[in-house]
Order: sequence, then structure tokens, then C-alpha cells
Amino acid sequence: MDSELIDREKLKCCHHCGKCSSGCEPNRLDPSFQPHQILHLIGVGALDELLTGDAIWKCTTCFTCSERCPQGIAVTDILWRLRALAFRSGRTSELLAAQKDVLLKTGRLYAASPLDNKKREKAGLPPLPEGSSLVARIFKVSDEDE
Amino acid sequence: MNKSKGYALYLGCATPVKALKYEISARNLAKRLGVELVDVPEFGCCGFPVKSMDPFAALLMAARNLALAEERGMDMIGLCTGCVAVLSETKESLKNGRLRDKVNEKLRLLGVKEYSGRVTVKHFARFLFEDYGLDAVRERVVAPLGSLNFGVHYGCHYTKPGHAHGHFDDPSCPTTLDELIRSTGAKTIEYPNKNLCCGLTVMGVAEDLSFRLASEKLECLSNRGADAMVVACPSCCIAYENNQKPVGRSIGRTFNLPILYFTQVLGLATGLSEDDMGFEFNRIAFPRPL
Repeated sequence: MDSELIDREKLKCCHHCGKCSSGCEPNRLDPSFQPHQILHLIGVGALDELLTGDAIWKCTTCFTCSERCPQGIAVTDILWRLRALAFRSGRTSELLAAQKDVLLKTGRLYAASPLDNKKREKAGLPPLPEGSSLVARIFKVSDEDE
Repeated sequence: MNKSKGYALYLGCATPVKALKYEISARNLAKRLGVELVDVPEFGCCGFPVKSMDPFAALLMAARNLALAEERGMDMIGLCTGCVAVLSETKESLKNGRLRDKVNEKLRLLGVKEYSGRVTVKHFARFLFEDYGLDAVRERVVAPLGSLNFGVHYGCHYTKPGHAHGHFDDPSCPTTLDELIRSTGAKTIEYPNKNLCCGLTVMGVAEDLSFRLASEKLECLSNRGADAMVVACPSCCIAYENNQKPVGRSIGRTFNLPILYFTQVLGLATGLSEDDMGFEFNRIAFPRPL
């Protein structure tokens, strides 16, 4: 289920040196969040534990870990993919579910209301579309098998 | 790409809704500097918010935007660091011919011409630094900002991931935005947590973490007497400006640190009016230099 999203071969390069965690700001403020531990848990097949836990949602996606990794592992991208796996299996955060709804209806994460467009008009800025099916169409096309 | 056609402005979704002062000042600054920014109404979501849902759909969203700019023969200039990072990462990924073919097949289904890889994507600040040039900016300065002292906040995705941005700046010790701000005559502060993330991306799931990250930088720059923090991304501005009161409350402190976009600082120096810099939308009043 996870083979296409997580490159396990690349993960085998991980030395467990902890450089990702030692440079991680969320880790400094919340020591329970440890990127190197997350990589380890993927390696030993404990995906369920990761996908049901809080940890994968605490990453700020700042890319510091990816930049620091001496083995060139894109740690931030792995965190994203874990979230996508959780999302796909229905174990997502309420926030993300709400964001998907807005994206499907408006095509944007920050939807534009009629009031927003009034403000823009007053400021001499071009109007924004208030609804769009583009994201819904892209999700559909993304899902279709070749 | 043909520079005489101007540059395709990639606005993203946060800037035109949450950061009117950024959009207004960026458009007017571009005019003042003689840089033609062209609106492309067909642009869609950059894909960033979809990375946590469906990474391939996110790739398609970004690729679609690259293809639309390419079709018009224009390079892209973005205002949001998140958008620019996703578009740049996608451009890098699509150097892989097999992936590009797969993506182009899907783009056809969306009614978009295939993407060949010719378009470049830059953040407006990077464009000013690399393409427009600091000397050209200096030539346009009519009101040097020598009396002002700014704390520059880059935003993580301005330089990272480094490979996607062609390592134009050092992700662990960036300088390009400082140099751009200093080209106005203003000073920029060196401070210890300059590379700290604004924390906005986790606000909805871990508010305490998000606020602590924002508070550390607000404290540091307030303590050092910065006249303002300078940002280059609408998300960072939300974290430091819109959230400044609750962030202060969370640590029992009241902050009063103005947050300016780099486009507003350059606007000040190049003689834009307050209206043309969107100053009415600043939530924390910024004192005009004498």
C-alpha cells in the first residue's frame, strides 16, 4: 500500500545519526517529535503507529532536516507522504478534511468571498474566482489509471 | 523565455485574500521599477496544500501552472515562498523524462499543452536580486532609508529545499534578502534565530507549538529594537502580524513590532505613496521615516 509513496530503498541509507532531529525546531520545543525515530518506525514496519499518532502532524515542513541529512534523504517529503497515507486511509486531521472541502469547492485554500472581491475592487485589484472545480478535476485525473 | 512579454505573476491564494498590502505594493513596485507583471487568470492552486492529501495531484497542479506560463512564453514570478518552492520542486522533478511524459498525459486530459521544461520560476525578491540587480535598485532609490533598522525574516521555503531553488542563496545562512533591503540604505540586524520557521503551517493542529515558534522571533527582534520585521511570504506575515496579539498573550507579553513586506520597504525607498504600498492594511502602524 505504501510502496509508491515511501522509497524504502532510500530509507535503508539512514544511519540513524539523528542530525534531522537535532536541527528540528518542533523537536526542540516538543522532544516527543523525533524525525529520526519516524524514519526508524517506517523501517521496522510500524506504519500503523505512525499514521494513527500525532507526530506526523507536528512537522512545520521547514525542510531543515532534508537540508541537514548527510545521506540526502528528503525527510520532509517523507513526512508529507506519511500524511498523504493517513489521509488516504481516512485517518486524517479534521483540519485537512476541511481544507479539502474548501479546495474542492473553490479551487483555493484561501477562498475568496464576495466581500474579499469588494475590497479588491476598492483597491483597484482584479477580481478572484469565488468558485472553481479545477482542484476536483485534478484529483479525478490524478486517480485515473493509465 | 521571451522577456519582452513580461513575467507571469503567480499570485497564489493567500496573498490576494489575506495580504492585499503585499499584492498592492508588489504590483506598484514592479511598475516603478519597470518590470512588467502579467496576470494569468487560468493559473490554479500551486499544489502545496494538496501534498498532504495526494502528492501526485499536487505535482499535477504545479505542472499545470508551469505549462500555462510556458505556453505564453513567459517566465514566472511568485510572491508566496510556499508556491515558489512547490513550483520549483516540480520543475526539478519534471527533468525526469518518464515522469514528465506521465504528467503531460494527464495535462492533456486537463486541456493543457504539454510542458517541456523551459520556464523559470523565481520569487519576486530573488528576481530583483538576481535579474533586476541591486545596482539597478539603488539607481531608483529616491529616499534612502539610512535611519531604519530591519530584522529580515526569509521564510523557510524562500531558500529551501536548496536544490529546487538552484542554491541561489545559502539555506543555513541566507543573505540575499538582507542585501536587497540594504540596497535602500537601511540597516539589517544580524540575530540568532534568523532561520527560525514562523510556525504557521502547524497552527491548526499544534497551536502552542506554532505560537512558541512565532514568539521567539518576535521577542528577539523586539528586544533588539528593530523598526520592523521584513517578510517575503503571506503565511509568515499571518504568523507574525495577524497572530501577534495572541502570540504575545501566550507568553504574557505585548508586542508592537510592525511587519512589512520587502516590497513595502523598497516602495518607501523608491518613492511610492502610502496608498501604493498598501500601508492602510498594516495592522501594526509603521512610523514613516523623517
